[in-house]
Amino acid sequence: MLVRAFRKEEKVSKLIMFHARECPHCKTMMPHVDRLEKEEKVKFERLEVWHDEKNADMMRSYRPVIAPKCGGQLRTPTFFCPETSDVLCGEVPYDKLKDWALKQG
Amino acid sequence: MKKYWRCYVCGDLHFGVKAPEVCPTCLVKNAYVEISSDEAERTTRPTRRTMSRTEFRTAIESFAEKNEFQVNPDTAKVEMLFDGMFANEQNHGLKYCPCRLRTKDFAEDLKLVCPCNFIIHESYKGKEDGECWCGLFVRRKK
Ligand code: SF4
Repeated sequence: MLVRAFRKEEKVSKLIMFHARECPHCKTMMPHVDRLEKEEKVKFERLEVWHDEKNADMMRSYRPVIAPKCGGQLRTPTFFCPETSDVLCGEVPYDKLKDWALKQG
Repeated sequence: MKKYWRCYVCGDLHFGVKAPEVCPTCLVKNAYVEISSDEAERTTRPTRRTMSRTEFRTAIESFAEKNEFQVNPDTAKVEMLFDGMFANEQNHGLKYCPCRLRTKDFAEDLKLVCPCNFIIHESYKGKEDGECWCGLFVRRKK
């Protein structure tokens, strides 16, 4: 019980990282995501989109929101917050990802 | 609308809105006649085959050679991108860009077949160290 109450207080933002297995930018961003999850109260759902059609369809379903912010396309990696509809795409420095993620809180 | 054209001299095929004025192979002028897509398909089918990685690499290297960009010297990155492209070709029919997702609109997705028209990408255009969105092609250093 106590544990549950504690968990509820600890607000964890639910964020999505759309990535592709053979995308070099995604490979670069992965350690940043790992670090961010370790250092901040942030959790990313990592969805691979070229080898998993369910994930791909999910990314495509957000196309009207995502594409205008990513050069009109569905690019990887794309960081997305379903609650705020905010998007960050491409390879960015750790601090930029961190600022973006914490802003979604 | 794009159509199929055949050079009446050497048989080269062209797919485009307009036929080339001069056939790039036999150099004959006004040699292209419009043909049906059926004829184009029948005449190209026997030569249809996939390219090996080595053949693909040679193709994009000679394509880049005549341009202001080159294939990225970072071999590990290039190999990773090839893995993606060849997997996409096997799973989804064409060598789609490994760093972008297809929309499932076939005509739209042709823009994602590698090499794409990356010259217009903001990661390349006007940038001294410009590269295509994935980093397969990088601007050649002066
Ligand atoms: S961005 Fe680069 S790797 Fe991707 S399709 Fe274009 S040229 Fe190929």
